[in-house]
Amino acid sequence: MQFIQQLIQQLINGITIGAFYSLVALGYTMVYGVLKLINFAHGDMFMWGAYLGLTGFNVALAMVGQAGGWSILPIVIILMLTVALVGVLVERIAYRPLRSAGRLAPVISALGVAFILQSLARNVYGASYKTYPTGITPTGGLSLAGSARVSTMQIIVLITSFLLMGALYLFVQRTRIGTAMRAVSLDHDTSRLMGIDVNRIIAIVFLIGPGLGGVAGMIVALYYGSFDFTLGWSYGLKAFIAAILGGIGNIPGAMLGGMLLGIIETLGAGYLSPQWKDVIAYAILIIILIFRPTGLLGERVAEKV
Amino acid sequence: MYKKLALLLLVLILTMPLFTGCGPKESEAIKIGLQGPMTGDYAYEGQGFEKAVRMLVNQTNEAGGLLGRQIELIIEDDAGDPAQSALVAQRLVDTKVAAVIGAYNSTATEPASEIYNEAGILHITPSSTATHLTDKGFKRFFRVCFLDDRQGLFAATFMNQVLGARNVGILHDNSTYAQGLAEHTKRYAEEQGLTVSYYDAINPDDQDFSPILTNIGAAGLDVVYFSGYHAQGGLLLKQSGDLGLNINWMMGNASNNPELIQIAGLQNAVGTYITTEPLPKDVDYPEARQFVADFEATYGQSPDSVWWMMAAEAFNVIRYAVEQTESTDSEVLANFLHNEAKDINGITGPILGWDEKGDRIGTIHLAYIIDAGGNFVVNPQQP
Repeated sequence: MQFIQQLIQQLINGITIGAFYSLVALGYTMVYGVLKLINFAHGDMFMWGAYLGLTGFNVALAMVGQAGGWSILPIVIILMLTVALVGVLVERIAYRPLRSAGRLAPVISALGVAFILQSLARNVYGASYKTYPTGITPTGGLSLAGSARVSTMQIIVLITSFLLMGALYLFVQRTRIGTAMRAVSLDHDTSRLMGIDVNRIIAIVFLIGPGLGGVAGMIVALYYGSFDFTLGWSYGLKAFIAAILGGIGNIPGAMLGGMLLGIIETLGAGYLSPQWKDVIAYAILIIILIFRPTGLLGERVAEKV
Repeated sequence: MYKKLALLLLVLILTMPLFTGCGPKESEAIKIGLQGPMTGDYAYEGQGFEKAVRMLVNQTNEAGGLLGRQIELIIEDDAGDPAQSALVAQRLVDTKVAAVIGAYNSTATEPASEIYNEAGILHITPSSTATHLTDKGFKRFFRVCFLDDRQGLFAATFMNQVLGARNVGILHDNSTYAQGLAEHTKRYAEEQGLTVSYYDAINPDDQDFSPILTNIGAAGLDVVYFSGYHAQGGLLLKQSGDLGLNINWMMGNASNNPELIQIAGLQNAVGTYITTEPLPKDVDYPEARQFVADFEATYGQSPDSVWWMMAAEAFNVIRYAVEQTESTDSEVLANFLHNEAKDINGITGPILGWDEKGDRIGTIHLAYIIDAGGNFVVNPQQP
C-alpha cells in the first residue's frame, strides 16, 4: 500500500514537471516545423517570461497593494504580448536575413540571441536568485489515496497547461492560419504559390511560440517560487529533448515527449537516485531514437533530394 | 607638418612608461587579487566579498596605505566555475599580485590553488572548507574559515546530543564542498552510534526535488541534514512543505543565507536548524562590531553573510602579516603565518594561528534555528 501511494505521488510529481517541459517544447517544435530551425533562444524567452512576471507582480503590488487574484490576468496578457513581440523581433532581425544561408548560420544566430537574452536578464535583474512576492499562489491541496497528495498549485498548473496545449492544437488544426502553418511546414515555395504569405505565417509562429513560452516561464516561477537567469538554459535543453523525443515539428509529439521525459526522470530519481536520473532518462531517449529516429509521433518522411 | 607632430607625440606617449617606470619600487601600489563568483549561482557571495574587501582596502589606503604604499585591489570573476577559476587565477598571476583572496566555493578554489602554488603566491580562501584542499602540501595556501570535518563533527554531535536523533538522513549536492561535509558528518554520526539510513545526493541544476522528497518523507527519519547551498536548500524546504511532508530539516553553512527563507517561504523555513560559523551580528568581538558598523555605514545594508566577513578577515590577515614582516614577499608572509602568527585580533574572533597544512586552528561553529519571524537565531541549546 505504501508502495502504491508513493508511486501515485511520484507520478503526480512527474506529470507536473512534464507539463512544464511540454509547454516549452511546443515553442521548439512549432519553429522547427515552419523553419527547420532549432530556436535555441526559445528557452531564454521562457526565462524572460519569469522575469517579466516578477516585474508585473511587483508593479501590481505597488499599484493596487495586492498581486494575487484577478490581477494575474492583465499581467499574463501584457507579459504574453511582450515576449511575443520579442519573439517576432528576434525572427525579423536575427533569423529572416539568414533564411537562405543554409542550416548552420541560423542555429549560430539563435545561440547568439540566447546568450544576449540571458546576459540581458542578468544585467537588468542581477545575478542572484529572484523570488515572487509571497501570497500569490494558493496553498493547500487534496489528499488522494492516503499519503499521496496533489497541491492546489499543481492542479492549476496542469489545467492551465492542458488548456493552452489544447487551444494551440485546435488553432493549428481547425483555423485558416493553422492550415497555412501546416502548409508552410511542408513546403515554403508551394505555399507561396498557393497564395500564402509565408513571412506572415512565420511571424505568427514567432508570436505564438514565445508567447506561450513566456506564460510557461511565469507558471514555472510561480510554482517553484525562485529562479535565476540560467532558468532558460536548463529547461530549454530538457524541452528541446522532449520535442525530439515526441517527434520534432509535431505538436502532440511535443506534449507527449514532455510528459514522458518528466515521468521517466521522476521515476528514475525516486526509485534509484537523483544522481542517476539523467543517465536513465537519456538512455531511454537514445533507445527510442534508435528504433524511431523521427521521434515517437514524428512522420516517417523520406529525405528530400 | 601635422604628421610629424603627431609622430613626435606618439613617441613621447609610448616612451612615457620608461621615465615614470624607473622610480623606486616602493612607491608602486601593492596589488592584491580577489577572485570570486561575481556572476552565476553564488554571485550574492562574490559581490559581498568585493564589498567587504574593498571597504577595508579603502580604509587602509585612506589611513596612508600599507608600508607607505597604496593597495590596488584587482577583482576577477570566476563565476564559481572551476574552468573559469583557472583562467582568472592565471590572469592574476600575470598581473603580479602579492597575495590573493578567494575563491568562494571549494570547486573553484581547487584549480586556482594549484596555479597560485606554482607561481609561489600567498593564497587565502575565505570560505572553501573542503578538507582535501590543504592536503596537497601547498606552503602558501591558508584558510581563515574552518574545515568541513569540524563542522561535520559539530553537526553529528548536535543531532545526537541536542536533538536526540537516532535515525538520520544526509543529503548533499555532489559539489566538492557539500559532499565532503556530508561524508564527514556521516562518519562522525556513525562513530557516535547514530544510524544513517538515508544518504544520497541531488543534482543542483534541478529545480524540482519532489521525487526524492517523496522518498525521504516515507523513510521515517528523525532529522535530515542537507550540506549543499541555499538555492537548493530553499527549494527543498518549499517543496517538502508543498508536499505536506513533516521533515525535520537541518542544513550546513552553505545554506546560511537569508535568501534561503525567501526561496522557501517563511512557513516552510521555520524550525530549520543551520550549523554554521556565527552570523556577523552574533560575533561578539570589538573588531567584529566595528566591521559590521562600518559596512552598514558604507553600503547601507548589513553584512548578511558570514563569508563576506571571512573575506574581510582574509584581507585583514594579509595586512597584518605585511605590517609585521614589513615585506610583501609571499614566502616571508607564509612563513610568518605558519610559525609566528598567533593571537591576532581577527574580525571573526581571535585567530589562534594556523597548523602546518594552513588550516586555521580552533572552531567557532554554532547551531541556529529559523524562528517564526524569519530570523536566524542562535539555538538555545548547543552541544
